[in-house]
Amino acid sequence: MNDYLWLIPFFPLLGFLINGLLGRNFSEKMVGIIGAGAIFLSFVTTLLTFKELLTLEPEHRIFIQKLYTWMATGNFSVDVAFRFDALSAVMTLVVTGVGFLIHVYSIGYMHGDRGFFRYFAFLNLFTFAMLLLVLGNNFLILFLGWEGVGLCSYLLIGFWYEKIDYANAGMKAFIVNRIGDFGFLLGMFLIFKHFGSLDFDQVFSNAAAVPPGVITAITLLLFVGATGKSAQIPLYVWLPDAMAGPTPVSALIHAATMVTAGVYMVSRASALYILSPLALSVVAVIGVATALFAATMAITSQDIKKVLAYSTISQLGYMFLAAGVGAFSAAIFHLMTHAFFKALLFLGAGSVMHALSNETNLMKMGGLRKHLPITFWTFLVGGLAISGIPGFSGFFSKDEILWKAFSSPFGSPVLWGVGAVAAGITAFYIFRMIYLAFYGESRVDPEVALHIHESPKVMTVPLMVLAVLSIIGGYVGIPHVYMGLEHFLEPVFEPASVAMAAGAAGHASASTEFTLMGISVVIALAGIYLAYQLYVMNPEKPRQLAQSMHGLYTLLFNKYYVDEIYQAVFVKPFVNLSNVFFWRFFDVKIIDGIVNGVARIFGNIAAGLRRMQTGIVQMYALSLMLGAIIIFGYFILR
Amino acid sequence: MNTAIGTIDWIPVAPFIALSVLGFLIMIIGLFFPRIYRETLGTITLVGLAVTFFLILQNWGEPRYAFANTIVGDKFSTVFNGLFVVGAALTILLSLNSQENRYLLYADYFTVIVFATAGMVLMSAGTHLLTIFLGLETLSIALYVLAGFRRENAFSLESAFKYFLLGAFASGFLLYGIALIYGATGSADIQEVTRWIQQNSLTGSLMLPIGFLLLFVGLGFKLAIFPFHMWAPDVYQGAPTPISAFMATGSKAAAFAALLRVALSTQSYTAIAWEQVLWVIAVATMTIGNIIALRQDNIKRMLAYSSIAHAGYILIGFIANNELGHSGMLFYLLSYTFMNIGAFGVISYLSTAEHEFVTLGDVRGLAYRRPFAAIAMAVFMFSLAGIPPTAGFISKFYIFSAAVKAGYVWLVILGVINSMISLYYYLGVVVQMFMSAVEEKAPATATQQPAVALALVVSMFAVLGLGIFPSRWLAVFMEMARSFI
Amino acid sequence: MQEILFFVLAAVAVLSALGMLLNKNPVYSVLLLIVTLFSIAGLYVLLNASFIAAVHLIVYAGAIMVLFLFVIMLLDIRADVEHINLKRLSRILALLATFIFLGETFLIIWMSLKGKAAFVGLGEGILGDVPSVGELLFTKYLLPFEIASVLLLVAIVGAIILAKRKLRPEPPAA
Repeated sequence: MNDYLWLIPFFPLLGFLINGLLGRNFSEKMVGIIGAGAIFLSFVTTLLTFKELLTLEPEHRIFIQKLYTWMATGNFSVDVAFRFDALSAVMTLVVTGVGFLIHVYSIGYMHGDRGFFRYFAFLNLFTFAMLLLVLGNNFLILFLGWEGVGLCSYLLIGFWYEKIDYANAGMKAFIVNRIGDFGFLLGMFLIFKHFGSLDFDQVFSNAAAVPPGVITAITLLLFVGATGKSAQIPLYVWLPDAMAGPTPVSALIHAATMVTAGVYMVSRASALYILSPLALSVVAVIGVATALFAATMAITSQDIKKVLAYSTISQLGYMFLAAGVGAFSAAIFHLMTHAFFKALLFLGAGSVMHALSNETNLMKMGGLRKHLPITFWTFLVGGLAISGIPGFSGFFSKDEILWKAFSSPFGSPVLWGVGAVAAGITAFYIFRMIYLAFYGESRVDPEVALHIHESPKVMTVPLMVLAVLSIIGGYVGIPHVYMGLEHFLEPVFEPASVAMAAGAAGHASASTEFTLMGISVVIALAGIYLAYQLYVMNPEKPRQLAQSMHGLYTLLFNKYYVDEIYQAVFVKPFVNLSNVFFWRFFDVKIIDGIVNGVARIFGNIAAGLRRMQTGIVQMYALSLMLGAIIIFGYFILR
Repeated sequence: MNTAIGTIDWIPVAPFIALSVLGFLIMIIGLFFPRIYRETLGTITLVGLAVTFFLILQNWGEPRYAFANTIVGDKFSTVFNGLFVVGAALTILLSLNSQENRYLLYADYFTVIVFATAGMVLMSAGTHLLTIFLGLETLSIALYVLAGFRRENAFSLESAFKYFLLGAFASGFLLYGIALIYGATGSADIQEVTRWIQQNSLTGSLMLPIGFLLLFVGLGFKLAIFPFHMWAPDVYQGAPTPISAFMATGSKAAAFAALLRVALSTQSYTAIAWEQVLWVIAVATMTIGNIIALRQDNIKRMLAYSSIAHAGYILIGFIANNELGHSGMLFYLLSYTFMNIGAFGVISYLSTAEHEFVTLGDVRGLAYRRPFAAIAMAVFMFSLAGIPPTAGFISKFYIFSAAVKAGYVWLVILGVINSMISLYYYLGVVVQMFMSAVEEKAPATATQQPAVALALVVSMFAVLGLGIFPSRWLAVFMEMARSFI
Repeated sequence: MQEILFFVLAAVAVLSALGMLLNKNPVYSVLLLIVTLFSIAGLYVLLNASFIAAVHLIVYAGAIMVLFLFVIMLLDIRADVEHINLKRLSRILALLATFIFLGETFLIIWMSLKGKAAFVGLGEGILGDVPSVGELLFTKYLLPFEIASVLLLVAIVGAIILAKRKLRPEPPAA
């Protein structure tokens, strides 16, 4: 057993406390060292623990450290306990590793900001919550981290903005996530009801004893939570808005870690999902639909961060597709590679913005290749990786997912087809972005153009490290290479792999696999070629196309009007209910009546007292009376 | 009839006696030293409350009945009375606001708070409906007076007057209920009533159930549950801020104590089969409280509606009717005491005599002007909203778990939806404090408030402590809940 | 005989109570209230509760009603001013609510007593006389009796606080 597990989340917490309480008095350098150092320490601790984990037999690869009993009553108890198994190990390494690089990058990016110390404090707090999420040994700790990361996400988005309007926009993210949390909480209560425990081991080992209907209900509710956090249809609308925060925050929270929490949760509960084919198909269909849908929306977006946001939604869709066909290790594999290349792309975008005085509009870029060489090359690596070009990490993980979508007993050729098309669109919009930003004529505002400069080392080094990871990150997934990831994760997903193996007989062959792989590579290359033709060779063409397909373009440009529909269908009626009915009726009519009366009372208390006596109080008394009458009536009549 | 009362066990009544003596003492001090510092008076009161607390703890253990079974010292009364005294002490700390409450008549003010606490103590320890009723009346009359303490303020007077009229009306229901229970069973002694219920079949007889329901209506008024809630926003808004906190926590807890005492002892759940009614009331209470709170600009008024909603959540634990639910109610009430007094305390902490610091506009950008107050407020708001790892989360989680265990899945669904809605307005306050630009013409805030700051620190520690290390308290409450079986 | 007396007293009580509510002259209202209290005292006597009956008369009909009359006469409230200012709908609702509530309670008690002789616990002539009440008050109900004294004290303190004309001069600031 490893007794130092608690140190992993402890370091970021310590960093948060130090920077949060004392950071006001520190220099920027000091704050940066403390903030990034805390994450580095927990990264090192993770590595050491990981090394120790590898010395064990595969089926015993699990550390559990119980700190204390959080709450206990009778036979039900929840511990504050950490769990370090293969799945947690991968997640923790990603969170601390990528997190560390983003912290370092932030030192340069946030340089000179007046809330520097606050930013680092929140970033450390976020990492702490995220580590709780992935290390928790029961659903409640997971939920604790789940809420924590959400909260930090709002704090960090809001960090940038000090306007009331923005606070209102942030509320959208908030409401959408509440719907997700609602599902998660109810799922958790159902688990508690039927398993009598929230502990992972106990729940998963007893899963078979619970009626399938209940399992389906639990898994679907949990998935509602996952769609909220991981921005899937229909709850994805918040993520593009969240891009308003600082770019490293987008990289860390809205690309690499927090938004993948839903995928992690579904994978963690794989033992439950595998028992419910219905829930699995829902996950797969939602996943693949999101992958396609979000990819199409990224085509028309002119904001570099919005493109990446839709791309993130789309890639998360792939992960759910993998989970939905039972290939949980493929989902985690893609989660990992995605963390590398998407963080890289975001940080690259941040570097571009840094150079262009925070310009995010792709139409005001162009020709940046010469001015920002490091940014360009690393960005290109990220683009190749996400497009699934062989040799880059995204190729391995995406191909693995598509193959499983085709061959798994829970998969189908249709899922594969849609996924492959989405992959092509992905390659297209990513290269559209690259061509628009880095190639062609410069469209940069003249006064901004004077200040274009490559970012400092503290920013470019993390870019380079991530670029390397985006290339080699894929090789851990190749079977039979030293310790394949799938093999490593196998003990965690054992129930799932058993079910997969049972249904997989004779369904697929190696030749099919290579054929499909070839097709998807061709599709990706076609996407890149199309982007090249449209945005480098014939820069006038896109505008003509947009005009000739005006309807489709507008639909895509307005993101299918989903925000507007949500506003009209969900938000408006609710606001009206509160506003018109409760507020106007109860408060304005009744309460404000008194308040207005008070002004007169002030002059003439005697008269005022009489008014209160004969007016409103009697209404209150009447409501009391009517309540009593109805209750009694019910008892007499029943 | 036996005319001798025999030896008296004083321990069960000791808290009540201590509080009464303390009340007299402060009154007399105020009489002889009219120019005494109110900090001195506050300290004397706090010391008195500490002594009372010690006496309360002596009651933990097997039930000890005294005075012909009219009062008892048991685990239940120990837990609740401890809660009341802690709430009263925090209220006193809030009242030592150097600015806002200059108008208070100090000695009288402390006296009435102490007597109100004495009333609460009777409500949880009383095992005779008469004792409970007298406790309730003592509490109510004290609260009417406290609500009207800002006599130069029309809101405060209005608040006191409304509370008084409606309170008297509600007491009528309560008394009628006691009369019907007495009529049906021949006794108002809770143990006798229990015996009667065990021996007689209830089929066909409506008198006892209706008696309980009337009792419920009377207590429901104090709990501010739908449809008996309408007074609460007006009264909370008008009353002095510490008193609003006191009413929303102590008085509510006392009413729950009486309700639980009657229900647990007599097992009247089975006697009346009123789950559906309670179900509807709980849902309506939560929903109405939360939805109206959404639109409030005045934080005191918003907290008033939120306190209605919280009564609804606590009622879920009551409906669940299992050990988990009952101990969860206790935990909820304890957490609620700290977080709500804390939230009102921040208002008290910032308000000056000229300006009551209560609108959302007032707190805009507070984090940059008064970071301590803003952080404290954020903690309390998170807790009220039920965000982990605060006490508010554990409370809700516990109550909802209990209800799920008892099979009320839909009730929990509605409860969870409601707590999601409530997040919106609680976090709205936090957003205003942290994410908004500093307004140039922001009103001046009070400074130099050590007593209120102390109350805030204590409450913050409690809210976080109860959230991170709740098990010991849960074990205590669980033991209390079990002691009834 | 007892039954005739009961119905006469009950009828007088109800009628005079209604008269009190409907009469616009406050002085008449008070006088009618005294009639109501008297007839209720009569009902107490019929129930063998002679002590309660006596206390009822002395405290309510005597002391409190005299106080009411004083207040009314001192304030010189004229009959025509005191017009209750409720909206018609609310008034109808309130009336309706009252009658339904009365009906419900009646129904409940009637249904509960169907087939039973009388209320449980009301035996013959031992409860309501002075010695037995006194004995109960100092044995079984000693604690409630003492609590009542605290209750009254709070009420007095409260009344004084709210009635004081001026706030006390401010103590020295801390």
